[in-house]
Amino acid sequence: MMDTLFSVFRISVKAIFANKMRSALTSLGIVIGVAAVITMLAVGSGTQQEMTERFSRFGTNVLFLRQPWDLDESISSPKEVTMDDVRAIRRLSGVEAAAPYISSGFTVQYGYTSTSVDVLATDTDIFKTYDWELDSGREFTEKEVSDYAQVAVLGATAAQTIFNDVDAVGKTVIFEDIPFQVIGVMKKNGQGGFGFDMDEGALIPYTTGKVKMNAGWSKSDRRALDRVIIRVKDFNQIEETKEAIANAVRNTHKIHPLKPDDFQIDDFASFVEEAKSAGKTMGILLGVIGAVSLLVGGIGVMNIMLVSVTERTREIGIRMAIGATSADIRLQFLVEAVTLSCIGGLIGVALGIAATLIVAANSTTIPATLNITAIFVSFGFSAATGIFFGYYPAYKASKLTPIDALRYE
Amino acid sequence: MSLIETTNLYKTYVVGDVEVHALQGVSVSIERGEFVAVMGPSGSGKSTFMNILGCLDKPTKGKYILDGIDVTATDLSKLAGVRNRKIGFVFQGFNLISRTTAVENVELPMVYNHTPSHLRREKALAALKAVGLEKRAFHMPNQLSGGQQQRVAIARSLVCDAPIIFADEPTGNLDTKMSIEVMDLFTKLNKEMGKTIILITHEPDIAEYAGRLITFRDGQKVSDEVKK
Repeated sequence: MMDTLFSVFRISVKAIFANKMRSALTSLGIVIGVAAVITMLAVGSGTQQEMTERFSRFGTNVLFLRQPWDLDESISSPKEVTMDDVRAIRRLSGVEAAAPYISSGFTVQYGYTSTSVDVLATDTDIFKTYDWELDSGREFTEKEVSDYAQVAVLGATAAQTIFNDVDAVGKTVIFEDIPFQVIGVMKKNGQGGFGFDMDEGALIPYTTGKVKMNAGWSKSDRRALDRVIIRVKDFNQIEETKEAIANAVRNTHKIHPLKPDDFQIDDFASFVEEAKSAGKTMGILLGVIGAVSLLVGGIGVMNIMLVSVTERTREIGIRMAIGATSADIRLQFLVEAVTLSCIGGLIGVALGIAATLIVAANSTTIPATLNITAIFVSFGFSAATGIFFGYYPAYKASKLTPIDALRYE
Repeated sequence: MSLIETTNLYKTYVVGDVEVHALQGVSVSIERGEFVAVMGPSGSGKSTFMNILGCLDKPTKGKYILDGIDVTATDLSKLAGVRNRKIGFVFQGFNLISRTTAVENVELPMVYNHTPSHLRREKALAALKAVGLEKRAFHMPNQLSGGQQQRVAIARSLVCDAPIIFADEPTGNLDTKMSIEVMDLFTKLNKEMGKTIILITHEPDIAEYAGRLITFRDGQKVSDEVKK
């Protein structure tokens, strides 16, 4: 049996290579389909993996409080998240720390060097929520926060960009038009939080940011914060703490017991969920792209197999005359279609892997990780395409009678 | 019992509204080891007769027993195996598969009866040797002369040890010298290997090689004579 199958396979390869150009063009659809699916899934799973990693580095016992982007329309006068909320949350027993969070992009100037950094206006609790470590200098103090002090803590990469190898601590930099004294520089920590990269950024007291820099000016309430970062004491108590926070915020926002929240609290899990559902959407999209190109490729295979059956009618007649059964003929053409699409699949896999490696090696912004399952699945689909679209031409060939096939000119 | 036994074979084709009676009651019996030539003008029904004898087609009516097998009662799909084991075909147009070496062409019938691959090669080379083409085993058909191609086809008809060879105008595409070569080969196969050979031709001097001559006209056998 294996022996026969191998003979049939050899005949197929011969037939495919006899029409190199035609076979190449036919399998192109499948090549593109498989390569596209592998590459795009690699980018997709790379992105997802990076997000998950970022979240997990950030810690699982961190919560975010913010006003939702898509507010319930039934809320007539939503309140922004403010320091009142921060203070109320800090009083809760389950909460370790709560820090205000307003981020803005500022130009920073030192001597003739000018660059732009992501500035996070916050207070001392930020040092208790993130696991950042100082490289030199110090963090700002509560007094500096209440005094609107013009002090800044720089991220490692930002400091390197602005000061080169000179020690930054004690130097004065200009954020927009306001001078700030650099009091500390953080150690490099790799991609830090979510939405804020400490390495590339700077920390300043939120009071200074609000009053002197107009940070978060676009909000309707002048006191508004982008969000509050909360670290809970015990991860196992996270649900209860979340509820306590919600009650505290409803209290400060004076929300009627029957009205819905005008804020939302996100935790690590919900970020992961979000990333996963984004990944899922992407997966569906890619699945559709892959399915469409495999469909088109499959139709190409079917088309060329029908041509091949017609062209080789006489050959089919000869084979039948010397003892090939209908099943033998059907197997022959089916194997040929599958071989053709699998060659396409293999080239597609190779191209997909190459494209992924190129993306991974050359792009710092698009992470790409090879997805082994995707490779097998898309190759499997290319084989399945061959079977599905090769069956009808093979069936047609097997239905020829030897006498008609032999007479065919 | 005869190797081939047909009783009252009828074959009717319907072409549009017209019925064509290609065979009208043909009864022939052929013994093992005979060399039979079938002659007749075109349209006489000799090709139809050959197709039925070769199990490529079935009669409309009548009975055909081939080596003890009732072909008329056998499903057309099962006849592939009968063709493979009992019959070797040699066609006018050689009917070799292009892009495939001589030896692979000869191996082909054995692919369909599931002979192991090492045995296939061995037997195919032996068959090529029997037709004097062992030196051309790895040539493609288009690298061979017409006579050589026909000898490859003959080797292919021998390779499954089928008792019967059907040759349909085997010299139709060959010049005189090659025709003689091929006919001498058939004679040798008949005499030395005891193959039953049934030959269709319209050339009297080719028919001369046979020991028995059957003539067809208008779908009927008009003469059947055994030479001395």
